[in-house]
Amino acid sequence: MNEESVVNQPLPMHGDEAVQSSTPRSSRLGLGSIMLLMGIVAVAVVFGLALARQNKSQPTAGSAPDFSLTTFEGQTFKLSDLEGKVVVINFWASWCGPCRDEAPELQSAWESYQDRGDVVFIGIAYADNGPKSVAYLKEFGVTYLNGPDLGTRISEDYNIQGVPETFVIDRQGNVSQFIYAGVTKQRLSAIIDQLL
Amino acid sequence: MLAEIGLVAVFLAFLSSLYAIGASLYGERFARSEAVVLSGRNAVFVTFTLMTIAILALQTALMSQQYQIAYVWSVSSPDMPDFFRFTALWGSQAGSLLFWSFLMSAFAAAAVLLNWRSHRRIMPYAIVYMMTTLAFFVALVLLFENPFNRWWIIPTNPVDQQVVQAGLTPAGGVAPAAQDLAASAQGLNPLLRHFGMAIHPPMLYLGFVSFVIPFAFAMGALASGDLSTNWIKATRRWALVAWLFLSLGLLLGGRWAYDVLGWGGYWGWDPVENAAFLPWLVGTAFLHSVMIQEKRGMFKVWNMFLVIGSFSAVIFGTFATRSGLVDSVHSFARSDIGFPMFFFWAGITIVSVWLILWRRSRGELRDEHSNNSLLSRESLFMLNNFVFVALFVAIFWGSFGAPIVSELVMNTNITLGTDYFMRVTPPLFAALYILMGIAPLAAWGKTSLTRLGRSVVIPIILTIVSLVFFMVGGLSTPGGLIAYGIVLFAGWVALYETYRGIVARRQAHQEGVLQSLTALFNRNPRRYGGYLIHFGITIIGIGVIGSTLFQQETQRTLAVGESLNIGGYTLRYDSLDNGQIAEDGRSMDIANLTVIRDGKELAHLRPRRDFFPQTDGMNTMTIAGSYSTVENDFYVILVDWEPVQQNAATFKVYINPLINLVWWGGLILIIGTLLAAWPREVLPARIRQEVRGFVPRTA
Amino acid sequence: MIKHARVLALIAVTILVVMSWNVSAQDQPTTTVTDDDVNAIAHELYCPVCENITLDVCGTAACADWRDEIRMQLEAGRTKEQITDDFVQRFGDRVVGTPQDSVLRALSLVTPWVIIAAVLVLVGSMVMGSQRRRNKPLAAVQPPDDRSIDRYQKLLEEDLEG
Repeated sequence: MNEESVVNQPLPMHGDEAVQSSTPRSSRLGLGSIMLLMGIVAVAVVFGLALARQNKSQPTAGSAPDFSLTTFEGQTFKLSDLEGKVVVINFWASWCGPCRDEAPELQSAWESYQDRGDVVFIGIAYADNGPKSVAYLKEFGVTYLNGPDLGTRISEDYNIQGVPETFVIDRQGNVSQFIYAGVTKQRLSAIIDQLL
Repeated sequence: MLAEIGLVAVFLAFLSSLYAIGASLYGERFARSEAVVLSGRNAVFVTFTLMTIAILALQTALMSQQYQIAYVWSVSSPDMPDFFRFTALWGSQAGSLLFWSFLMSAFAAAAVLLNWRSHRRIMPYAIVYMMTTLAFFVALVLLFENPFNRWWIIPTNPVDQQVVQAGLTPAGGVAPAAQDLAASAQGLNPLLRHFGMAIHPPMLYLGFVSFVIPFAFAMGALASGDLSTNWIKATRRWALVAWLFLSLGLLLGGRWAYDVLGWGGYWGWDPVENAAFLPWLVGTAFLHSVMIQEKRGMFKVWNMFLVIGSFSAVIFGTFATRSGLVDSVHSFARSDIGFPMFFFWAGITIVSVWLILWRRSRGELRDEHSNNSLLSRESLFMLNNFVFVALFVAIFWGSFGAPIVSELVMNTNITLGTDYFMRVTPPLFAALYILMGIAPLAAWGKTSLTRLGRSVVIPIILTIVSLVFFMVGGLSTPGGLIAYGIVLFAGWVALYETYRGIVARRQAHQEGVLQSLTALFNRNPRRYGGYLIHFGITIIGIGVIGSTLFQQETQRTLAVGESLNIGGYTLRYDSLDNGQIAEDGRSMDIANLTVIRDGKELAHLRPRRDFFPQTDGMNTMTIAGSYSTVENDFYVILVDWEPVQQNAATFKVYINPLINLVWWGGLILIIGTLLAAWPREVLPARIRQEVRGFVPRTA
Repeated sequence: MIKHARVLALIAVTILVVMSWNVSAQDQPTTTVTDDDVNAIAHELYCPVCENITLDVCGTAACADWRDEIRMQLEAGRTKEQITDDFVQRFGDRVVGTPQDSVLRALSLVTPWVIIAAVLVLVGSMVMGSQRRRNKPLAAVQPPDDRSIDRYQKLLEEDLEG
């Protein structure tokens, strides 16, 4: 590599300071340079923020992000309307296998609480709201509130990484528990009973 | 044993790279001691040796199936053929980071070996920058992604914490039973079990990693104050080497996607693909503008920016694809290395830019000449550089800027796809091809419009003639004609200029055609290698236009014996071989098809769908069948077949016109780059000996 | 059961509404929808849950469902634009290559050119700035007469030496 540069080398070597000694120098950076540096710093900050945000995981405590949901039946409500009640939010999709294992468990848990009036189950269909979702709900005889996550906005607020994921929210509207997958009636009842 | 050897070697390599940094800096800057500087230099070789030991340890562990090593366990399994055991070295994050660090240490050692004498003054500083980068990556390997971690069972722990991963034997830890480990081993990601994966990642890594050398030389020049054209000579050849590997990596990646991903294309504008393309763009801009600095002493600051920009883009690309910053098909699993890599990228970019601006403010990067005319080769090169940067901006924005800004500012998740890139980039690519045609015809300093006009006449005539051939061949859309015209013009200029060179030499030296061609390449390898590269890029352009604008596709469900017609071909479905079990445990459903044209059976194709029963996640793979001719590729994918009724299957057929020109053009480009970069004997051996005997020494 | 009947009724109503929107555009009866018709639309839409894969080539079961939905909507007589809008409304702007939302679209398509212009201004001013402080302009290389092969030859040799 670079054989010929051997010859092209100016042989006398200068010390660090000797090279440009004839040129006048001021070590102050110009306005353009400062703007350029600031621009690069700004770009870096944006990417740093994005990375920080990307690394955010599902909320496991603190107040639950509010959202408004229109159910498949056309009923619209907000999460904040349900304050004072224990809310179970389950993200699901008809194309997701593990969701099918959970669906009967969720439904039977719901059936054991539905008469109390202070427990609400909400199913949110993630990236899924066509006829397939309706067929899925019918298949498992799901009777609690279910609606599509239009534009996947709710899923983004909850930072979900996939489906199924379940959140239990207490009477004060704070996230009490996050369940990654594998919800069972028994596990859910234990959590809900603690909050009631 | 192998795990301990590897771990110790990596750790020592880390220490030795730190020593190289310290000794070089201290010896050159403060102590001014030749002995210290030399020992810093030698530490570079020691680091390389240690990294070689580490990589050999991991490779041996993979080949000898040491499943206690968690990395081996996660990327290989007992039923895998040896070839994929070998390539599993870069099959996942931890191994590929080690491999990447190893390559970087190899490049650093090579650069020191080859350039120590010729660039004695900047070398210690260059070592500081190379070894800082290396030390950073080795630290990532040690702290976050250790491929030598092993599985341990700690019986005294609670039940769900008994199995742990650790580099050193934890207290009370026992090795799990070998057969349990072997039985549960994961095997390599199916998508990576392809020949293309054997060469594509190493080439891409070589391209990425080798940009550290030009970067280190540039930074060495800035730090040492030796800002003569000296550093640029060492840099431009290393940049060409980096560019060669990166081009190869991109081409092979395209080929791999075409063969394996089964969507009939080779470039999906995916963020990860783009991340590899971005340093290529900056690097290409640099290879052009560096000529101006060598010839005319201009663009000094700009060249510094480009060298640093290409390395910054490499680190950014590595960071973006390995941290989960953007979602992509190709990205590695989300990992903890995101923040360290981010800070390294931001730090190195800001420090480098600050150094350039500082030297500039001291007047040390002043250009020796000014631009005389807007119509000179310098100006056209400047324009070319600007277009490269514009492409960089457009692609960077589409891949990273827009998704991130929209998420941060508007809380909306968007991904810009092919649609965006096909709106924004074609005018810029067209501008590049036009400049590629005109710039070589313009003279340095100043050229007149009439003279330039006169020299484009013959290439334009040739372009029009070839367009007529295209029209006879059935091309009629105005868009296609314009696109082909622009691309062909650039290619004709390259060929015509080479031809003029041959004619001139033959007149002067009474040589044969081949002889004078060789003489031209020998005398000015970069110019004529460059023309060959331009010609290759033209061929690629023709292939890209053909396969993008004129692709045909259809999807049909056929019963056995039925056929479909597309683009003059007939495709007949003969039979299905389902559930064939391959050596590595995959189950393959293969369709037997016959391609017919004008009543003649041209080929039997066997597109297939592979299913990997043991693998979680992405466990099916679509392997297309294709029949290639110069004219087009007849590319078939087995979309699905009815499990109940075995005599019908759904096929997707693509006709990709001229797609093979992309690969052939790529080959020409590689040959051209090799010709341009190949080290040559410039002086007779005797004089070289004398020159070599001279060791310049500063201070 | 009553609830499900309501759901079905809702779907029926939706389809009727959709078809009535469409009456002016498409008077002809619905024809059989081919795979190619579906793919033509699926090719422009990205799978909402897997990154950067268009729906026509995506192999997951979910994508197959979405392709079926495109087919159903096509059979119901909806146009490509309507289907695309529907997908965007449901899954967000990431399902299309360039966002549909006007603000996002402008942000996506205009910003690169703004940045490019800014780079041009910045680089231009830096170049101009350094040009003004320039010491000596270099004499232009003698413009050669291209028609004379001798001159070209001489120039070439000079160039090769350089």
